[in-house]
Parts: sequence; structure tokens; C-alpha cells
Amino acid sequence: MKLLNTQAGALALAILPFTAIQANEMNPDVSVVLDGYYKQNHTALSHRDEGFGLGHTELSLSSPIDDLFEGRLTAVLEDHEGETELGLEEAFLQTTGMPYNLSVRGGRFLSQVGYLNSRHLHEDDFVERPAAYRALLGSHYFDDGLRVNLLLPTPFYWQIGAEAFDGNQLSEGEEDIGVYTVNTRLGGDLTPSQSWQAGLSYLNNRQVHGGHGDHGDHGDHGDHGDHGDDHDHGGHSHGAQYTGENLYMADLVWKWAPGGNNRQQQLTLSGEYLYVDDLNEHATSDDVHEGWYASAVYQFAPQWSAGARYGQVELREAHGDHFHDQELKETDVMLAWSHSHFSTVRLQYTHQEAHGFEKADNTVMLQYVMSFGAHGAHGF
Amino acid sequence: MVFKQLVTGVMLGLAMMPAQAALNVFACEPEWADLTRILVPDAEIRTATTAWQDPHYIEARPSLIAAMGRADIAVCTGASLESGWLPALISRASNRGVQPGKPGLFFAAEQVELHQPHDHVDRSMGDVHPEGDPHIHLDPDRLPDIVEALADRLTELAPDRENAIRLRQRQWHVGWKLNTARWREAATSLEGMPIVVQHSTFGYLLRWLGVEAAIDLEPKPGLPPSAAHLGKVLSDPALDEVKVVLIASYQNDRPAQWLSEKAGLPVEVLPGTVTEEPKTNSLAELISHIIERLQQYNDKAAPESADHG
Repeated sequence: MKLLNTQAGALALAILPFTAIQANEMNPDVSVVLDGYYKQNHTALSHRDEGFGLGHTELSLSSPIDDLFEGRLTAVLEDHEGETELGLEEAFLQTTGMPYNLSVRGGRFLSQVGYLNSRHLHEDDFVERPAAYRALLGSHYFDDGLRVNLLLPTPFYWQIGAEAFDGNQLSEGEEDIGVYTVNTRLGGDLTPSQSWQAGLSYLNNRQVHGGHGDHGDHGDHGDHGDHGDDHDHGGHSHGAQYTGENLYMADLVWKWAPGGNNRQQQLTLSGEYLYVDDLNEHATSDDVHEGWYASAVYQFAPQWSAGARYGQVELREAHGDHFHDQELKETDVMLAWSHSHFSTVRLQYTHQEAHGFEKADNTVMLQYVMSFGAHGAHGF
Repeated sequence: MVFKQLVTGVMLGLAMMPAQAALNVFACEPEWADLTRILVPDAEIRTATTAWQDPHYIEARPSLIAAMGRADIAVCTGASLESGWLPALISRASNRGVQPGKPGLFFAAEQVELHQPHDHVDRSMGDVHPEGDPHIHLDPDRLPDIVEALADRLTELAPDRENAIRLRQRQWHVGWKLNTARWREAATSLEGMPIVVQHSTFGYLLRWLGVEAAIDLEPKPGLPPSAAHLGKVLSDPALDEVKVVLIASYQNDRPAQWLSEKAGLPVEVLPGTVTEEPKTNSLAELISHIIERLQQYNDKAAPESADHG
């Protein structure tokens, strides 16, 4: 038996080098993203601690499953206050054989609300998402659910889509389907050099008025009343710290590359607006979260890009039956060098002006984002 | 009675539809649009890139998603040339006809053997494609096989057009053979001519012509020319024999111009693919034009070297 094993091993060794290439066709695309940084100071609403640290280390597998489905699995390792957390960011299947340009996605995936949310963090041009995203979506909102998308047969790009999610990744609650979203995107080319995309999204969070009772001296949820003293929002590192029943988002992106040759030069202007109301059962119509950002990134040579972003968010922090005002204004400037398509080193300076946040500060950050494995295809 | 007329009307309408509906084609690069148009002249063709765009780096932008969503067939190069944007387009367009493994997705590189396939590839080698060099569209010998496979595929999708497609393919083939003979003759004068290139955009044609791509301005495939690499190029003894620096119209010409100034070499910028301008508005014209331009530098140099001798 031992001999047989040895023989089989020798055989495998002998065959392996020759079959390796062919086997690729059947193996999933594997890609790894390494994200590390040095951050000088602590900043408000940040998911990155000061000092040396690791950001969003990602392992992703994707492949067609058969002629009707494709699938993707993305595991994320995040280092948070000294502890390494293993998270599942994506585990979904998507149909590829539906008629009328319909597609259905099921499992865990990034919600398509807004412009940035459906993108992977390593595709971003700045070290962190805008403050409004960090406060209202936990940087990027992903959850277990179902999505239906339809590409309309118009001469320009027009997509409509709806999602239903469990909702517990955004805020805790007891609803089976805690979050619904609807989203539409339009886009096209203005000239061979210019293209644009605009989107509108709505997210309905049904858990806000559900049985969570997190700050409740509210009579209906008296049994959870003890939690009312706990104002530490740091605990829910993946969920959104500020929620409300209705989230409205509008986004606009415009890109310019001479002759459409974005290898040499490209200017990207993008902006989003986020508005949340119906924060909880104590909220009046004046109690809303509101935020926006505008970003300009200029890739002035194949390997270099520079960018600036301004964003602000005005929040109403729930304290029992009343709210405290909070505000964060953030300005970022960055310079990035990408030796190849797979390596980026970024230097960024962030200036924060805050009201109602303890640890707001200015900081310099140095970040690398490196990927190896399959060549990820990036969207617009 | 009215119902019957309606039914007849609808049936007639349906029967006429295939004849009226033009084939909707998504061409990743202009060369495949050109060849598809030769086989199906009335096809509605949307070309994703131009000769002034680097086909490796296009974005999966909204207008292309919309075009992909409408397409009956996508005609692309393959061999990972479009791997940075085509998978995203296919996924977002959710067009069930244009999916990997379906007849609606045609890859030219899968129809022929590629130059330089690699058993081992890693990214330290640059942007090397394991399948081989994907820039096959200027190879006089490989194109007939690609066109034949494309004709097969178009016939599969539009069986009612089979006769017309086959006829046009044969006509094209005859013309191509005549052109090939002409190019072969021209190639005798170009054989062994050393030139500087940037990337393997013209590689297949140069190899066919016997033109020697002696020096590449890219330090590694896909990496832009660096100062250090250009310094090395300048001190390369092979540079003395070089006749011209040939780059493609989508490339930044500054490195080539820099070398031109330092080494006193002419720079020739040519479209890497079919354009809408005269002299390069079909693959045959483009190849003739490239050969003509190369000959000019070869001829110019010849009397000079005679003077020296």
C-alpha cells in the first residue's frame, strides 16, 4: 500500500508540471489583495487605527459554475484594534442565462446602492471611503439577500434593480427581510473622450423600528432597556453606526480621457449625496443624517495619479429619546504611484474638522494596495 | 375574421423579422469590426476601441454595457488582451447570448496558434499573457483561418445568411491571397531590417516580414518605458544598426522622441489597427501602409550605408 502511494505520488509529480496549464481552465480565478498602511494620527469615524496596520486583505475566488451560473467568494481579513477578524464579504451566485438582460444574484454580496458601495475597497482612489459612507453604510454595506437587475433595451445605458437583504449587517433587528433597496443607473458617452453615469438609490431599513431597542427607555421594548445606557458605537464595526428608516442616495460620475485612451491620462470627477430620515421612534422630521462628497482624481501619466476630495456629514446621534448634533468635514489630498496594474503606493493627507467627535485630527497616511493572481476586471 | 387577419399579420411579421433585423455585433477592436463588415456588410457594428486607445486598458463604461446588452455576437481578440474590461462588460450586460462558451462570444486568438505561449508566467515578467502574444490581427497567414472561423460562427448565428457569408468569405480570401503575394514580394527587401519597437503590437507582421524587432522600449511587456531602461537602450550596440523607431498611435511618443533625439533615429507612428482614415481603413490597406512606411526607411538608409562604404 505504501509502495502504491509512493508510486502514485511519483506519478502525480511527473504529471503535474504538464497538466498545470490545462487545469487552469477548470480552476477558479484566484486573486489576493494586500492592503497595508502607516497612519500618523487617529481620525474620527475611521476604520483604520493609527500606526502601522493592515487594511482590507482580500482573498477572492470566482468562476463560471456552469452555463447558467457564475459564482464568487471573497473572504476578508481585517485587523481591528489588535485582533484579526475573518469576514465573508461576498459569497454569491449570479445567473448568466436569463432572457431580456435580466440577472439574479443570491447569497452575500455588496449592495449596489450609490456609486462606491458596490465597488471593492481596493479599487478606491483614497485610503478610506468618504465620511458619509463610513457613518451611514459602515464604509460598504454587504449582506445576505437577493438581487434582480434589468438592463433596459435603450440606446443608452439604463439599468434598474431591486435588492432584498437580511439587514443584520447594517443594523441589528428581528425582521426576516430587514432591508430593501431599489436603484437605477443611467449612463453613456458624451464624446469619444467623455463618459458619464448617474444613479439614484433608495434603501429601506425596516429594522430601525424593529425590536432592537438599543437606546430604548421606550415602553414597548422595556425588556431591552438596559442597553439604553450603552452609547458605545464602536462595537458594531461592520454595521452602520448611524441608521434611519429611509436612505436616499444620488450619484454622478464624469470621466475624461483624451481620445478615450485612459491608459495615458484620465480625469475622474465624482460625487454623491446621502440623506437619511426617520431615524427612530423619537425622531422628528428635523432629525436627519445628511452627507455628501465630491472627488477629483487626475491620472496624469500611466503610473501616476493625484486627487482631492472634500466630504462632509451631519449626523444626529441618538441618546435615549433625544439626539445630539454631530458634524464631520473632511478634506483629502492624495498622490498615487502604480508601477504596474497590480501595485499601488499612495500618500494621502487628511484634514478633519469635527463637531461632537472626540478624536478628530489631521493625518498623513501611506498605503499600499497590491494584488496578485487573476486580473480583476474593474467597472466604470 | 379580424382575429384571423391579425394572426396572419403577426405570423407574416415574425417570418419577415429575421430578414429585416440586422445582425448586431459588438467588436472589441476595429480589426474585427472590419472583418465582420466584410462578411456581413449590413451588420450593425459597435466597436469598443479605436486605434488611439490602448486595448488593454479600456474601462467597462456604461455605453459599452448598453451595446453589449444588445449584441447578437461579440467579436474579440481573447488571450487575455481584454481581461481588464471584457469580463465586467459581459457580466453587467447580462446578455445570455454573449457568454463564455456560447456561440455569441468569438475569440480570434482561440482560432489560431499563438506566438510565445508560456508554461510559466508570473507578474514579475510584466503583463505577459500565458496563452501567448494576443496581437494577431496583422498576421497575413493567421487571418484567413480567423476569418473562416468567424464565417462559421456568423453562419451558426444567422443560418439564413449562410450563402452570402460563404460567398463573401471566398471573395475576401482570394483578394487576401493576392495581397499576401504582393506583401511577400515586398518583404524580401525588408528582411533582416532592425528596428526599435514598443510592445508587441506589430509583432506578428514584423516576424512575417522578417523585420527584426531588435530593441523594445518597454522594459517588460505592458510597463511604460522607464528612464533607466531608455538609458540602457541608448547604450545598446544593436542601436547602431537600427533604421527606425516604430510605435503605435495609442502610445505616448515621448520615449520614442527622446531616443530619436539622442540617437538620431526617425520615429514612425502608425495606427496599430484599422482606422476610418484613408490608407488604413481596412486590414489589407493597413498592412500595405505599414510595409510601405517601413520600406521608406530601409531605402533611405541603403544609399547612406553605400556612401559610407
